[in-house]
Amino acid sequence: MRNKISLLLMMITTGVLLVSCKKVVDLKPTHTIDGDLFFNTVGDYEFALNAAYDRLKQNSMYAGVNGGSIFLCAVDVAGDNFYGGPANLGAMNPYFRWNYTADEASVQGGWDAAYNVIQQANITLRGLQRFRTSDPLTVNRIEGQARALRAYMHFEAMRWWVDDYARNSQEPGIPYVDTFNVELMPARGTVEQTYDAMEADLKIAKELLSDIDEPIQSISSAAATNRAYIDSLVCNAMLARMYLYAGEADSAIKYSSMVIAARPLANTAEFPLIWQDGTTREVVWSIKFQAGDAALAREIYQPAGDQLSWRPVTALLNLYDPADVRTAAYWVNRNGRMVLNKYFAKTTAGASPDGVTDYKVFRTGEMYLIRAEARANKGLDAAALADLNALRSARNAATGTESGTALQTAIAIERRKELVVEGHRFFDLKRTTRSISRTQNCSSFCSLGSGSRAWNLPVPQTEMIANDNMVQNPGY
Amino acid sequence: MRFKSLLLTLAAFLLFSSLALAQQVVQGRVMASSGIPLSGVSISIKGTDAGTSSDNDGRYRINATANAILVFSMVGYTPKEVVANATTLDVTLEPILANLQEVVVTGYTTQTRKQYTGSVARISGSDVNLQPIGSFDQLLQGRSPGLLIQSQSGQPGSAASVTIRGKGSVLGGTQPLYIVDGIQVTGADFQGINPADIETYNVLKDAVATAQYGSRGANGVIVITTRRGKNAKTRLSYDFQYGTQTLPKSQLDLMSSREKLDYELYYDRPDGLNPFGWSPDDVDSLAKIVANWDDAVFRKAKTQQHVLSATGGNDKTRFFLSGSVFDQQGLVRATSLRRYTGRVNLDHTAGAVKFSLSTTLGVSTATNTDENDNVISTPLNAYRWTLPYITPYLPDGSYNLLDPGGNPNPLPELFLNTNKNRQLKGIGVASIEYRAPFMKGLTARTQWGIDFTDNQGENYIDRNTQENNVVPGGGGALQITNLRRVRTTGTTSLQYERKSGDHNWGVGLYQEIVKRKTETNGFFGFGLVGPIRNASGITPGNATNNYIPVVNGNVTEDALLSYFTIANYDYQGKYFVNLTGRRDGSSRLAEGNKFVNYGGIGLGWAVTAEPFMQQQQVFNNLKLKFSYGSAGNADIGNSYEALEQFGPVSYNGAPGLSLVNLRKDQLSWETRTTANLGVEFTTMKNRLSGSIELFNSITRGLYLNRLLSSTNGVGSILTNLGQLQNRGIELSLDYNLVNQGGWNLNVFANWTGNQSIIKALDGNNEIITGININRIGSVANSIYLVRYAGVDPDNGDALYLKADGKTLTNIYDPSDAVIVGQFDPKGFGGFGTSVSYMGVELSALFTYQYGYQVFNQARVDLENPQYWFSNLNRDLLREWQNPGDITDIPSPFSDFQAATTRFLEKGDFLRFRNLTLSYSLPNKLLGKWDMTHLRVFAQAQNLHTWYSFKGYDPEVFTGILTGAVYPALRVFTMGVSVGL
Repeated sequence: MRNKISLLLMMITTGVLLVSCKKVVDLKPTHTIDGDLFFNTVGDYEFALNAAYDRLKQNSMYAGVNGGSIFLCAVDVAGDNFYGGPANLGAMNPYFRWNYTADEASVQGGWDAAYNVIQQANITLRGLQRFRTSDPLTVNRIEGQARALRAYMHFEAMRWWVDDYARNSQEPGIPYVDTFNVELMPARGTVEQTYDAMEADLKIAKELLSDIDEPIQSISSAAATNRAYIDSLVCNAMLARMYLYAGEADSAIKYSSMVIAARPLANTAEFPLIWQDGTTREVVWSIKFQAGDAALAREIYQPAGDQLSWRPVTALLNLYDPADVRTAAYWVNRNGRMVLNKYFAKTTAGASPDGVTDYKVFRTGEMYLIRAEARANKGLDAAALADLNALRSARNAATGTESGTALQTAIAIERRKELVVEGHRFFDLKRTTRSISRTQNCSSFCSLGSGSRAWNLPVPQTEMIANDNMVQNPGY
Repeated sequence: MRFKSLLLTLAAFLLFSSLALAQQVVQGRVMASSGIPLSGVSISIKGTDAGTSSDNDGRYRINATANAILVFSMVGYTPKEVVANATTLDVTLEPILANLQEVVVTGYTTQTRKQYTGSVARISGSDVNLQPIGSFDQLLQGRSPGLLIQSQSGQPGSAASVTIRGKGSVLGGTQPLYIVDGIQVTGADFQGINPADIETYNVLKDAVATAQYGSRGANGVIVITTRRGKNAKTRLSYDFQYGTQTLPKSQLDLMSSREKLDYELYYDRPDGLNPFGWSPDDVDSLAKIVANWDDAVFRKAKTQQHVLSATGGNDKTRFFLSGSVFDQQGLVRATSLRRYTGRVNLDHTAGAVKFSLSTTLGVSTATNTDENDNVISTPLNAYRWTLPYITPYLPDGSYNLLDPGGNPNPLPELFLNTNKNRQLKGIGVASIEYRAPFMKGLTARTQWGIDFTDNQGENYIDRNTQENNVVPGGGGALQITNLRRVRTTGTTSLQYERKSGDHNWGVGLYQEIVKRKTETNGFFGFGLVGPIRNASGITPGNATNNYIPVVNGNVTEDALLSYFTIANYDYQGKYFVNLTGRRDGSSRLAEGNKFVNYGGIGLGWAVTAEPFMQQQQVFNNLKLKFSYGSAGNADIGNSYEALEQFGPVSYNGAPGLSLVNLRKDQLSWETRTTANLGVEFTTMKNRLSGSIELFNSITRGLYLNRLLSSTNGVGSILTNLGQLQNRGIELSLDYNLVNQGGWNLNVFANWTGNQSIIKALDGNNEIITGININRIGSVANSIYLVRYAGVDPDNGDALYLKADGKTLTNIYDPSDAVIVGQFDPKGFGGFGTSVSYMGVELSALFTYQYGYQVFNQARVDLENPQYWFSNLNRDLLREWQNPGDITDIPSPFSDFQAATTRFLEKGDFLRFRNLTLSYSLPNKLLGKWDMTHLRVFAQAQNLHTWYSFKGYDPEVFTGILTGAVYPALRVFTMGVSVGL
C-alpha cells in the first residue's frame, strides 16, 4: 500500500514538472477594457466620446483644488478683478503676481489637461471611419463632437500660450494635434496654421452635426439637464468666439447671430437660476459637474468652508447697480465680506452649498457681447448699441446711448460685468488694451505693461525637454 | 589501527551484548568551555530520530543503545559527537564565532554556510524580536551589511523601506522579495505577523542566491523561517513587556506668540502690515499666550506585549504553538495598533513521508492619522500651521475654532475623524515530502501555500471638521475600502543527493506557479447627520440631498510560471560549486516578451581546509567565494501594463471609457546581473571573525518613464531603457574582546558603501522627472535643483546660481537646475557591543546612514511668506527688511521659489538604536521553582539620534518630505520572559 502511494506521488510530481501550462501567464483584464478587443462597433465609440467630455472635469482646467483651474479662476486672478483674501493658500499667486515659471505645476497642468482632452477626442476618431458606410449618420454625430471638442481645446490652449491672436499672424501658434500617436513631437507652427486647423475642424463638425442619426440634445429646452454636449449650435458659438479673437468681425457677427436666434436671453427671474443649475435658459453649452465632482471656482471662494481666497475689488463691485439681476446672482455678502456667488451651489444642494456647479462655457449673453463688439469694430455703432442695450435690459441694468470709443469701452465694461469668472477677463485685456492696472491691495503687482512676458504662459519645462521641435515663449 | 578498533568494538559488543540490545540511560551535563552550563543543547542519537535537550542546568538524560553516537549541538557552538560508552557522559562544547555550521536557508534549499558560495546574511529572530515595534522589517536596521532599512514614520505598525545592495531599479519595485516558510508574502504587510514567531531572517544578496527566484529576485530576497517544534520535552514560555513612548524633539523651530505677532506687525510684506488688524491690547494679551499644542496632540503612549508559546514533540510529531497580543498606543493621540496573532506549526514523519504544516493568523486594527502631505486638515500639518497664540481649547472646553487665519484646529480632525485599518492576515503552508526508499538520496516534494490578506479601511469624516468641506452634501462621510488579496504559491520538486568518496553533490528540478488575485471594493457614503457614526448612519442619496454614494470595485490577477534547477557540488569539503538556472514567464509583460531565462553560478574555496594551510596559525578559517548570475524584476506598473486599457468614467450620468494605460508592445523584464567576490575569515584563535564582499551589478532594460511630448495627451511612457550599475563594498567584523572569569565582551560593526550610476539611456542623455534626473554617468535619481545663493543685501531678492556655477541672478529659471545631491545614502551600517557577566547582559546597537539629502518640502509651507496667516519657521525672523541687511532669508517681495537648494538638507544621522539590559536568573534558583528560564529586561529604543535635518527624523526614504511626518518611535520598555 505504502509503495503504491509512493509511486503515485512520484508520478504526480513528475507529471507536474513536465506539463507545460503557458496559459497560466495569459491573463486579460476584467475590470478595464483591452483596447485591442474593443471598438468593434460604432456604439463602442460612444463610450470613448463620453470619456472625452469627462476629461473636461479635470482639476487643472476649470474645477480646481490647490492650483488648478487655469482656464477659469486664473484668468480672472491674472486680470484686475480680485485681490488676495485671508484664506489664500497661494495657489493662484503666480497668476496674480504674473511670476509663473516654466516649472510651475499649474502651468504644466493646464497644458497637459487641454491636450489630454484632445487625446481622448483623437482616440474617439481613431478607426471611426470604418463605420461610415454602414452607419454614416452615427459616425457624423460622434465625429462632429470629437472634432469640435478637439478644436475648442486647442483654442483654450491658444489663449494662454499664443501671443498674437490675429488670424494670419506668423507668430508661433500651438501644435495642432489631430492623431493619436504618443511618439509625435509636433512643432508649434504659426498662429495662422493653428487657426486654419481649428476653423476646418469646427466647420466640418458643424456640417457633420447637421446631419445625424438622432438629436444630441434639445435646441430650445431649458431643462437643467440640457446642453451638456456639443451640437451644431455649440459649434456656432465656438466659431463666434474664435472669430472675435481672430479679428474677423463679419464671421463673428454671422455665427453669434445664429446662436442668439436659437437660444434667447434669460429673463430676470430665470437668470439667477442659471447659476444654481435650475435652468439652462440661454445656456449654449455647459460642462456638467455633479455631486462628487470637484467644486468650480473653489480657488476663488469655497462655499463649503467659507474659505475666501480671492476677494473682488471694489472697482468691480461698483460696476453693478443694485437693481441689476447680476448683482445678487454673482455676489453675496457672507460673514461681512463680499464673495463670489456665481458658483455657490446647485439648487439641489440645499443647506450645504458645496460649489459643485456646471461650467457654462457658452451663453447667449456672451454672444450679444461678441456681436456688439464685432459690430462696433466695424463702425456699426447703432447695431452694436442695440445689442448692448438688449443685454442690459435683460439684466435689469440701465441702458445707454454710447457711441464711438465710449461704446467700445461700454462693451468692454459690460463684458467684465457679465462674464466675471467665466474664463475671459485676462484674455479680453490681452486682446484689446494689452495693459492691466490694478488699484486695490496689489502691492508691487499693480500694473502689467504691454511688453511683459507674462501675457503668455511659458511652455512647460517638461514639454521643452521632451519635444525637440518646441519653441519657448519669449522671455522665459 | 582500523582493525584494532574493530576488534575493540567487537569485544565491547560481546561484553555488553545483553545490555546493548536493550536501551540504557545515558545522562550527564553539557558545559561551555568557559564552565557555564549550557541549556537547550540538542542531543540526538545519530542515525535515528530520537533526541532530547539539556535543561537549564545543562543536564540531560537520554535512552540510547550502548555505543550509539550522541550528537550534541547548539547554535553558536561546534557540535560534538560522543560515543555512548558510559552511562554518565559530561560534555564540553567549544563556542564558535564564525559559525560555519550555521544553516543557510535560501527558501528552496538548505545548506551550511561552509558549503554555500553565495552572499547571505543571517539574523537570528531572538536577537531582534525584543524590540517593541509592530512591523518586523524595522527590527533589522543596522544588523546586516548590505541591508538598508529606512523607516520614515513612527505610526504604529508602519512598514519600513528595505533595500538590499542599492536600488537596482528607478521606477520598478526596489523592495526585496519576502519568503515566509517557503512561500511569497506581500512586503510592507507585516503589521499582522508576530516577530516573536520568527526563527531566522536570511538575507540573500548575490546572484547565485537570487537567481533561484528568477524574475522576483533582482532586489534580493529575505527568507524567513518560523519556529518549529523540537523532539524534546514540551516547554512553555511566556514573554511580557510594557513601556512608554515619548515625543522626540523636533529640530524645526516655529515662532512663539510674541515672535509671530512681531512678524505680522513689523515685517513689511506684499499683504501689508498687521493683516489681522490687531489692536495694541490684542497684541498684549495674545503675546502672553503659550498654547500647549504638544500635550494636546501628543501623549506619553503605552505599549504592551504578551507572547505565550509552547514547543515540543516526539520522534514522529513535533509542534510549535504561539499566541500573542500586541497593544501599542501611538504617540499622536487617537492612533494605535492592536494585534492578536496565533500560530500552529506541525511536522509529522510517517516512514518515508514527511508532512509539514505552518499556519499563522493575525488580526490587527491600526488607527492612523494622515501624514507627509500638504493638506491643511491633516492634523500633523494643522498642529504646525495653527497660529501660536491660538489655544487648543476654549475656556469652556470646546475646540478653539477661532483661528483668524482659517487654519483648522488639528484636534477635531484627529478626534472626530477616524482612519482605521483592520487587517486579517493568514499565511498557510503545507508540504509533503517523500524520500524514495528504492533510491537513496531521491526526494520528491510538493508544497502549496497561501498568503491571504483581508484589509478593511474605514475613514469617517465628521461633519464638524475641516475635512468635511470637500464632502458632497457636506453632511460627513464614511468611506469603506475592502481589499482581499490571495497569493498562491505552489512548488513541486524532485531532488537527488549523493555522496561518493570525495564527491558530494545534489541536484533539484522544480516547477513553480505563483498566482495573485487582488479584489478591491468599497463605498463612500454621505450624510452622516444622525447620531450613528458608522455605515448604518449613511443617509440614502436622492436627487436633492447630494448624498449619492460612490461605489467602486476592481479585480486584478497576476501569474508567474517557472521551471528551474538548483545544483550543488563539493569536493573534499574544499571546493564548492552552486548552480542555478531558471525560466520564468509573467502575465504582466507584452506577448513575446513574457518568458526569460536566469542563471547563476557560485564558486567557493575553503582555503584553511588545504593541507598547506594546516601549519599556519593566523587563520582559523579562511574562505574565498565568487558568484555571478542574473535575476529579474517585473514589479512595475499595473497587472496588465503592456495592454492598451480603457477604464470606466462617467459624464452627465452616462458611462464612458477613457484611456488609462498605453500599449507597450516592447515591455520586458528588468534584469540585474550581479558579480560578487567575498572573503570570510576567523582569526586570533577564533576571536575575530569577519567578511569582506565586493559586488557589482548591472541592471539592464531599466524601467524608466521616457518623456513624451504632452501634446499627445500623456507626458511619458514606461519603457525598458538603459542600464544602471550598483557597485559596493560590505564589511562586517565581530570581535570577542574579553572572554574570561565569567566576563564576555563582544563588539561588532558593519558598513556598506554603495553607488548607483546610470550607464546608458538608449540614445537619451538624461531623463528629468520633477526634481530628479537620471543622467548618464551620474547617480541614479540625482537631485536636480536650481542652486540658491542667498540674498542680495541691496534689495532682498533671492539669488540663484546660473547653470554655469559662477553667475548670480535674481531671476529663477528652471533651466539653471544642476545635480546637487542624491536621495539614497552613500553608506550605512551599524555597530554595537554586548557585555555579559553572571547572567547580566548589556547590549547596545547604533545605526548610521550618510551621504544623502532630503528635500524638505515641509519647510516650504513654513517659510513661504505668503503663508503669513499660519505659523511660520522661526528663521523667518531673519527675513530681509532693509537695504544692507545681511541674511539668508529673502524679502517677502522677492518671488518665492520652492524648487531650489534652499530646502535641500543633509540627511546624515547616527542613531542610538537600542540599549538593552537584562538579567537571567541562575539555574539553581530556577530548579527550585521548576522553571527553565527567567529573564527580566529593560530597553530603550531610539534613545538618541544625532542629525542636523530640520524635522523630527532624517530617515526619509522617499527623498522628498511633502509635509509633517509622524515622529519616530522613542520607546522605553521593561519586560520578563519565563519558561516552564
